[in-house]
Amino acid sequence: MGSAMKLDSDTNYIVSGLERSGTSMMMQILHAGSIPTTFDSSRKSDQNNPKGYYELEGGKIISKLMKGSFPFEKYKGSFIKVTAYGLKYLPKGWYKIIYSERNIEEILDSMEKMADIKDEERDKTKKTFVKLNKMIKETITEREDIDVLFINYNEMLSDPKTQIKKIPEFLETSGVNLDSMIRAIDKKLYRQRKI
Amino acid sequence: MTEEKDEKKYTTISIPFQLAEKIKKRIEGTGFHSLSSYATYVLREVISGMENEDEDEAFSKEDEEKVKDRLRALGYLD
Repeated sequence: MGSAMKLDSDTNYIVSGLERSGTSMMMQILHAGSIPTTFDSSRKSDQNNPKGYYELEGGKIISKLMKGSFPFEKYKGSFIKVTAYGLKYLPKGWYKIIYSERNIEEILDSMEKMADIKDEERDKTKKTFVKLNKMIKETITEREDIDVLFINYNEMLSDPKTQIKKIPEFLETSGVNLDSMIRAIDKKLYRQRKI
Repeated sequence: MTEEKDEKKYTTISIPFQLAEKIKKRIEGTGFHSLSSYATYVLREVISGMENEDEDEAFSKEDEEKVKDRLRALGYLD
């Protein structure tokens, strides 16, 4: 999946966040802005992500991360999607991470819809994912080999220009098509709105 | 009836006499008009702090399993 712009070939670039926090939309935005992104078509687009998942290996790279067998070297210089839990297993390296955050109730609604379940322990699940988010954010903020930009999904939809402008600043690059990135945001897909 | 209702809103707790005297001295000139109002304030603060600590509790083994279960359901984990 080539793009015109070049990123640092010694850095691993990651889009992350809790599952259903807007990570696929962030990958779409980057891709639309000609920022290098790598994904495959293992998981086809569906009603939960009509524009695609923008993932590697159908999103199942977490198992490889846990085993320490994910080939980060191969993906230097291009954004890949690794959801929050996978960041717990990042080996030492040099990373730039865009971490998406979203209202937790919307995340839980979207998870239930995608997994086609009615969570009978929703409060417990909420607590768990709030803790996971907090733990991962602390880890990636504290690690010296990780540079992170936090983007709020809800703010991205309400004020895309302000939020998207943060991305080229974070990447220290100017060759980005901001208009295309803004156009990639499809507010029609914001179906679990709570705030 | 009203008295009965009021009685049910409050209860009595016992604290050592010396402690009560210390508190009385401490609240002189403050906005607290009674030992009870000060004790209620302090206890609320303590309970609120403990509740916040609960929210800050660490990511446990049980949390880990719950996350993995959910990731499996979403297709992110084998």
